[in-house]
Amino acid sequence: MFSATSAPASRSGGLKRLLGYFLWVLVAIAAAFCLAAIALNRGEHINSTWLVLASSCTYLIGFRFYARFIAARVMALNNQRATPAERLKNGLDFEPTNKWILFGHHFAAIAGPGPLVGPVLAAQFGYLPGTLWIIIGGVLGGAVQDFVILFASMRRDGKSLGQMAREEIGKLGGLVALLTVLLIMIVLLAVVALVVVNALVGSPWGTFTIAATMPIALFMGLYLRYWRPGKVLECSIIGFLLVVAAIFGGQWVAESSFWAPVFTLSATGLALAIIIYGFLASVLPIWLFLAPRDYLSTFVKLGVIFLLAVGIVLVRPELQLPAFTRFTDGTGPIFAGKIFPFCFITIACGAISGFHSLISSGTTPRMIEKEWHAWPVGYGAMLLESFVAVMAMIAACVMHPGVYFAVNSPAGIVGATPAAAVATINSWGFPVSVAEMQELARSAGEQTLFYRTGGAPSLALGMAHIFAGAGGRAVIGFWYHFAIMFEALFILTIIAAGTRVGRFMLQDLLRHASPSLGRMRWISGMMATSSAIVLAWGYFLYQGVRDPLGGINALWPLFGIANQLLATIALCVATTILVKMHRARYLWITGLPLVWLVIVTFTAAWQKIFSPVPRIGFLAQARQLESALASGALTGAQLAQTRTLIFNARLDAVLCAVFLVLVAVILIDSLRIWAGVLQGTRESRVMEAPFVMSHLSAEEA
Amino acid sequence: MIRLRMFGSLLLALLRELSDENAYQRHLAARGREHSPEEWRKFSDERLRAKFLRARCC
Repeated sequence: MFSATSAPASRSGGLKRLLGYFLWVLVAIAAAFCLAAIALNRGEHINSTWLVLASSCTYLIGFRFYARFIAARVMALNNQRATPAERLKNGLDFEPTNKWILFGHHFAAIAGPGPLVGPVLAAQFGYLPGTLWIIIGGVLGGAVQDFVILFASMRRDGKSLGQMAREEIGKLGGLVALLTVLLIMIVLLAVVALVVVNALVGSPWGTFTIAATMPIALFMGLYLRYWRPGKVLECSIIGFLLVVAAIFGGQWVAESSFWAPVFTLSATGLALAIIIYGFLASVLPIWLFLAPRDYLSTFVKLGVIFLLAVGIVLVRPELQLPAFTRFTDGTGPIFAGKIFPFCFITIACGAISGFHSLISSGTTPRMIEKEWHAWPVGYGAMLLESFVAVMAMIAACVMHPGVYFAVNSPAGIVGATPAAAVATINSWGFPVSVAEMQELARSAGEQTLFYRTGGAPSLALGMAHIFAGAGGRAVIGFWYHFAIMFEALFILTIIAAGTRVGRFMLQDLLRHASPSLGRMRWISGMMATSSAIVLAWGYFLYQGVRDPLGGINALWPLFGIANQLLATIALCVATTILVKMHRARYLWITGLPLVWLVIVTFTAAWQKIFSPVPRIGFLAQARQLESALASGALTGAQLAQTRTLIFNARLDAVLCAVFLVLVAVILIDSLRIWAGVLQGTRESRVMEAPFVMSHLSAEEA
Repeated sequence: MIRLRMFGSLLLALLRELSDENAYQRHLAARGREHSPEEWRKFSDERLRAKFLRARCC
């Protein structure tokens, strides 16, 4: 049977395969052991290495076996089939791209502030619930969603989620998807702007650094346009050096008796500044302001994520927060609500994020060179983002619990003075002192670190702690402000880009009512639609700033619900496609995450609207404020503020209900189609582009 | 050493892709044109308009 020469080769091949199996068994055992170690440990601090190992090994198993199974059996990826990048190559968006370059490109596009902020907030339950959700949700939910949507879009010439929803589910599905994205964008922009406001309030160092990024961006824009056209990398390096100089400048400003008050802004002042910034960024030429910021923030984001990973591996910090805190009962100071469902909507990006489906059906499917590249790009990039979320969880948990709660709790919960806040936090069993907080604020170059809600300051503190551990404690102030700069830089870029995208979406929607409003270059139309978008998210931002509970308590869950509902739409589209391809056989792959998300988001939305607990339910909060109003105890400005708060609570309830109705419409529509296909009463035709043989060689692939 | 060099060139290629410098080279090659400030401005306007029409991730 075998020739004399092939026998040893076959023996060595068999040995290699056996060694491979053995290695994978080892990885699986390591994953199980590390997960068990972090899940079963109680009462002792554990090292962050356990979390790193548990997540890495689980991701490897998920990637190698589960994702490969989906790629081979369910999608039947075929490298002989030409991708849209090959068939429709135009040198612009359709371009076959090296898989690792595309991996980095896709990762840079999906990684936003969500996986950094969500885990920091969810750490109020302890490190365990959030970490397990990030790892399991990422492997079985988020990465599957991204992968299937990328596959579906790749087989449909790079169509968007909305187009696929329209084709596979129906016209209503497409319209609902567009409306949902627009509404989510408004809530997203408001909540991330609030994160920046809370990070910069009363901080002249941080405010100066971020203010300095504006003229730096303008300089970069002019540099690229007129002085050195096309030299983006060179320009970004100069921009980065200038931003680092601005961080040092910020320290000088903070110590200056003249400049420090100029850059010490109130929350309201900062909110107004960000609203004006959003408007200007939306109407100014893209090349002048937005594009250079976007390039710079992408590079800084990737660099900082890499630095954080290196820092965690080198320092291997111990987690100070316990596996579970007492706030699993729903009385948490950062946001109200029990682990179920609120942990699962607080951490959206990092576990499963609907927004990713927009990227997976955007640029990426148009750049895939070979079908099998969708495996590392679609599934693998999401696992990397999930790992970023684990790192954010580690950064939050390396702080002492007392410090973590002092930074993240609003004054409305813990008390309006540092002494009151410390007393409340100590009564929860988390020791912290005013002197300790003052010392921490001094070393970070801040006036105070109390009530710095939103997640960004505590993430920056955790990152500074890790970076300083690798490079000396003397520079903790620099690292803290470096981390704040990094977060604010790319959040403000998202605000600028998001406002612009929102404007285009609104113009697209209004085009049907008034064709002139739809004209992208009509100045008055541009101003009107930009103002409408800025005012929409600006209103929610202002509402968050005025909220005595810090705003994050109301806005972050609303954003989480909205984002997960978008994931529900994406999974409806993905499940419809799988049902049309294989009937019920592989329905569970996207069906199970879909069922979980529907349960989680509908429960969370229901509780946010109807819970009788005022800190959870918007309507209960409105009723409580109404009775305070009726009691006659309020006077003057308090009366007006309470009326505004009542209106805001009702508005949030209505918005939440609108999200639910929109997604319920798509869900019912999808169920109708699945039932039809499974019963054989409906045609199960998938809308894939026809097969064309690939001419790209294996080397190119 | 070779692997390190390969990693370095891959990283540089990624940075050039993220900074649109690769896309610009493709644009020039596809149209058979030479680099000039005017050509960059034309490419950049077209590229950025398309880029900022798409939703940003959270």
